[in-house]
Amino acid sequence: MKLSFLEITKLSKFFGGLAAVTGLDISVDRGLIFGLIGPNGAGKSTVLNMIGGTLHPSQGEIFFNGKKVTRLPPHTRAGDGIGRVFQENLLFTNFTVLQNVLVGYHLQIPIGLASIFRKTSSNRSQEETLLKKALDTLEFVGLLEYSDEMAINLPHGRQRLLCLAVALAAQPQLLLLDEPVTGMNAEEVEGMAAMIKALRGKKGITCIVVEHNMRAVMGLCDRIAVLNFGRKIAEGSPRAIVEDKAVIEAYLGAEEDVA
Amino acid sequence: MQNKSSLIGSAGWALAIALAIVFPLALSSIYWTSVMTNILIYVLMAVSLRTIYLVGEFSLGHVGFMCVGAYTSALLTMKVGLPFALTLPIGGLLAGLTALSLGYPFMRVKGIYFVILTVVTSESFRQLALNWRSLTGGPDGLIGFPGAGTLSVPAIGQVDFGGPNEYYYLALSVVCASLYILNRIEKSRLGFTWLAIRETDKMAGAVGINVLRYKVINFGVACFFAGIGGVLLAHSEQALSALEGASFGIMTTIYLLVYMVVGGKRRFEGPIVGAVVLSLVSEFTRPVEEYQPMIIGAIAIAVVMLLPDGLSIIPEKTGLWGFKSLIAKSKTGLGPRHRRV
Repeated sequence: MKLSFLEITKLSKFFGGLAAVTGLDISVDRGLIFGLIGPNGAGKSTVLNMIGGTLHPSQGEIFFNGKKVTRLPPHTRAGDGIGRVFQENLLFTNFTVLQNVLVGYHLQIPIGLASIFRKTSSNRSQEETLLKKALDTLEFVGLLEYSDEMAINLPHGRQRLLCLAVALAAQPQLLLLDEPVTGMNAEEVEGMAAMIKALRGKKGITCIVVEHNMRAVMGLCDRIAVLNFGRKIAEGSPRAIVEDKAVIEAYLGAEEDVA
Repeated sequence: MQNKSSLIGSAGWALAIALAIVFPLALSSIYWTSVMTNILIYVLMAVSLRTIYLVGEFSLGHVGFMCVGAYTSALLTMKVGLPFALTLPIGGLLAGLTALSLGYPFMRVKGIYFVILTVVTSESFRQLALNWRSLTGGPDGLIGFPGAGTLSVPAIGQVDFGGPNEYYYLALSVVCASLYILNRIEKSRLGFTWLAIRETDKMAGAVGINVLRYKVINFGVACFFAGIGGVLLAHSEQALSALEGASFGIMTTIYLLVYMVVGGKRRFEGPIVGAVVLSLVSEFTRPVEEYQPMIIGAIAIAVVMLLPDGLSIIPEKTGLWGFKSLIAKSKTGLGPRHRRV
């Protein structure tokens, strides 16, 4: 069997008696922006958590880049190239914006014992390079002018962008975005959508987006899977999805014959 | 500004060390010298306890690792005849390695669960020392092991550290070296990573930080220095007791925590200030010993209510001596001085 970039097979997650996800099969090709939508409680975030490694599946397997990652811890998966933007703004709140991004670059320079006690020219130049990269990342998300601001002082929309910048700093090939535009105004939503497209375009990052904002999802994604009660009820292009009967039923309820 | 406040910082350190050097000479009292030696040891204990807080955890078992270091060194000098220069690092290493091996299960839990694990561990160590009669002397304690003895000091030659004054200076240099190392670690990328884990371990994991490993390293480093503190304590008093009321009881751990909180856990200097001030308070209230916990407790409550960040924050708060810093600016090597101009 040929595995695609991200291959999820027969994935299930049970919380006690509750089946949050059952028998899910998804494959995502490299370079796609893949949408994962569904009503509240459909299991979208659970799927994302299992791909990211913060939850381990009860059954099924996850292959990333041909490697089985089903039970690996999150930090190993980050090393393999899976990045993550959480649903809540998880930031290093008492750090400056720049320092937040620098944390994201953790994997790029190993921490050696020598670096603690003396500043050799090689690790100083390494730090300089890192710093330049971090500032570039901030420029990319448009937060360069806030680099010395404490992360906690940023408004929600900018914190969201900073979350993205931190995730990007870890050099992901696959980015998991959990509700990236929630709580943003229309302008910010457009900005974020443009940013995600640019990620794919400029950096070649594959994205999986979980989102409630339908307009954003439809405009953004190449392919969408719809979940309901932990099962996939439809998958296809945005156009096919809006016309899918099962999807309409899941969101609006079944049409009844009114005599 | 950064340069000015770091200059003032260095001046402050130099002054503190100068005072520490001059005090025993000025007071010329064996009693006060031994009090000062004890203060030094508790400074190291409180500072290394704060190191654990860098990953966001509190340990109530620090004294247990002090106990490991103390008994290790005492027994090695007494029964094997190793010199202090060897037993000092061995005591620290054994405490550190114990912490590393316990760290893997312990650091999987957070908050109060971690606290509980540490407190029972330290009590177990004490009980072990109390009941292993053949090795530790049991409730009678361990006496008759040698002091630091004669060591060769670079540039000075052979020095006998047997006397209280000499031992004080030995302890001072060991503690200063330890504090220097802890400070460097905190300001390095290792310390930066610890702080990031304290901020949010979930995001830290998501960008590739092996949270468990870094927390275990942290615990190991902190407990290594607790072990060093234990060795210094053992050879200072040349007697060890594992009884509840002695050095390794639960009260010592609580006092260490109070030192850290009263001095302030945000700044590196915090636990130093706390340990010195409160040890002196204990010393001067010795005539009313039974009220001591009450007095220390009242001070702790007052500080927590009036100055939640502790005594060491006063210069920063009042803008005294040109101090102006935020945790992020002063605590990590990668501060805003790298700002792009």
